[in-house]
Amino acid sequence: MAESTVHQSRSRDLDKLLLRPGNLVAPTFEPGAQLRDDLQEYARILVVGAGGLGCELLKDLALSGFKNLEVIDMDRIEVTNLNRQFLFRLEDVGKPKAEVAARRVMERVSEYDSDDKPIEETVKPMVDGGTEGFKGHARVIIPGSTPCFECTIWLFPPQVKFPLCTLAETPRTAAHCIEYAHLIKWDEVHSGKTFDPDDPEHMKWVYTEAVKRAELFGIQGVTYSLTQGVVKNIIPAIASTNAIVSAACTLETLKLVSGCSKTLSNYLTYNGVEGLHIKVTEFVKDKDCLVCGPGVLLELDTSVTLQKFIDMLEEHPKLLLSKASVRHQATNLYMQAPQVLEEMTRSNLNLPLFELMGKVPRDIVHVTGTTSRDGKKASCLRKLCLVFKGADAVTDQDMAVGA
Amino acid sequence: MVGEELTEQETALYDRQIRVWGADAQRRLSKSHILVYGMKGTITEFCKNIVLAGVGSLTLVDDRAVTEEALSANFLMPPDENVCSGKTLAELCRDSLNEFNPMVRVSVEKGDLTSFGVEFFDKFDVVVISFCSLATKKLINERCRKLSKRVSFYTVDCRDCCGEIFVDLQKYNYAMKRLDETTECELQYPSFQEAISVPWRSLPRKVSKLYFAMRVIERFEEAEGRKPGEICIEDLPAVLKLKKEICEAQSLNESHIPNALLERLVTGTREFPPVCAIIGGILGQEVIKAISGKGDPLKNFFFFDSVDGKGIIEDISDPTPKG
Repeated sequence: MAESTVHQSRSRDLDKLLLRPGNLVAPTFEPGAQLRDDLQEYARILVVGAGGLGCELLKDLALSGFKNLEVIDMDRIEVTNLNRQFLFRLEDVGKPKAEVAARRVMERVSEYDSDDKPIEETVKPMVDGGTEGFKGHARVIIPGSTPCFECTIWLFPPQVKFPLCTLAETPRTAAHCIEYAHLIKWDEVHSGKTFDPDDPEHMKWVYTEAVKRAELFGIQGVTYSLTQGVVKNIIPAIASTNAIVSAACTLETLKLVSGCSKTLSNYLTYNGVEGLHIKVTEFVKDKDCLVCGPGVLLELDTSVTLQKFIDMLEEHPKLLLSKASVRHQATNLYMQAPQVLEEMTRSNLNLPLFELMGKVPRDIVHVTGTTSRDGKKASCLRKLCLVFKGADAVTDQDMAVGA
Repeated sequence: MVGEELTEQETALYDRQIRVWGADAQRRLSKSHILVYGMKGTITEFCKNIVLAGVGSLTLVDDRAVTEEALSANFLMPPDENVCSGKTLAELCRDSLNEFNPMVRVSVEKGDLTSFGVEFFDKFDVVVISFCSLATKKLINERCRKLSKRVSFYTVDCRDCCGEIFVDLQKYNYAMKRLDETTECELQYPSFQEAISVPWRSLPRKVSKLYFAMRVIERFEEAEGRKPGEICIEDLPAVLKLKKEICEAQSLNESHIPNALLERLVTGTREFPPVCAIIGGILGQEVIKAISGKGDPLKNFFFFDSVDGKGIIEDISDPTPKG
């Protein structure tokens, strides 16, 4: 077998991917030992979470040749983690997850750092994965080209929240009885004492009350296990789904950093509930996205005051936004409520918006207010791109006076 | 596990997965016995998943000594090379797997798998083999089928950054759930020999190219008397020639098996860790389904290629129903 003249790394499979050209590589791909060594020496990967996906990810990334891994996790290890978070042992229960995970990975592949520093916000490609039972997803977010997190937020199933009146008056399911005991009865009986989901006595109390309520309304199905599940919002989890999704994320990370192959485009779903289903969908950016979208374009004169601007929003056909509050970068230019903030920002209303925004010819603002749809009023947040006309013709009021 | 019920320790440890498949399935898992051959990357991932899931016992067969390849790509290998000396791959993996879940009996069986008789396989409910020659796959499959009880049989092979799983559950009955209805289903699986004997021209046009490519590589290694994976770029011309012959014999257009794909399989004989994790994860889930009787098992081939991230199931079985 022909031997490569390049010094072979410990990971021959990685050599095959990174040392030679291919048909499906990214345009920027430059095969060679330099790429492989740079990947190992310079690429820094942050793994957020050292749980079900985190343990798998750390293993996969380490075996894929990344040498600079950092992992963050606020949690400590529990017994119920051990069925899938394989970096942890029974004797580790109670210890911080990030520390134990980093230590185990370093023991196995001995060239890593373990750190718990939080990281500053930067624009970087992001690989995201999630699992629940037999289902999971992995996807790639490249700012500017793929849809951002906000664009696809509609993919998340709605949070289960029961209306208080259902819990208080007309429960129909076991979960309603449990949430009644947890959210309503607890405070009535233990006023002042905070409910602690990790205290078995508290949980038992909620369970007993839930059973009583269920009996009262003739509802079946309240068990201790369900009580825990509802109160703690437990996500059922198994090792194999996590293995699959984490590995898919690792593959994409490797491709993104090295360019050795085309990345997933751009959302992979895995469903093992009935049979086996894996699909890759190419989602497109939402042009109205609040985060990555360009925003509704508005052309303004530099003399327009903030008050005039707010009035304009009410009339603008694409917006029809009344009682608007305006935010530019990190500053609230005007807030309709609460009263204290309204008073503090009221003086801005008479000033030209152009000045308030630092006299830049073009920038983004976010506005919140109420719109009317089908006769119903709803609050909404919109992203606007403001362009100022005649920026050169500004007469500075101060300069107009003196010579 | 002692007795019929799950112990308190098991209930705590397996809480999150019992919420997925139920206590009944968990009990069945804890009584199952799995045999595994070929401790390479994909198999070790598979072992991790089923050990964490809490099977009854796992028996490993692989008498090879530790290699540099194993040290770099197998996460069950201890980091200290001194610990490795004198132990076989199976023994080292057993030691690591025991740590993942002390409640599972992980043991090693030494010897040549092909020399074990039918009565040996009777001890197991599931047999999974990896990186075996065509002859070995057929042989072990046949031994499993000779028993009066069902022994589920799986092969798994990963090369370059893609892989294949084959499943044989013989005659499999299970309850299929659709919304509120439950219907009894029966699936008839062909043996490996029967499956690969299905004429290529009778298969649907869209069948994964990887299926055909793997069969060409399989035949080549057998014809040349090679061990699985004992192939390199110099063999490519001969492999392409074999492809042409097989396609002609099967009346299949040569373009069905891209040369670029064959080149990948010929040069990338080693497994790639993230691909091992994906395929080992899917295999783990399939075995758990077969043992627990819950969920639709895949029939009968699965392919994954990381180049496009797609996972494809192909049903390669004789279209003519048996009377």
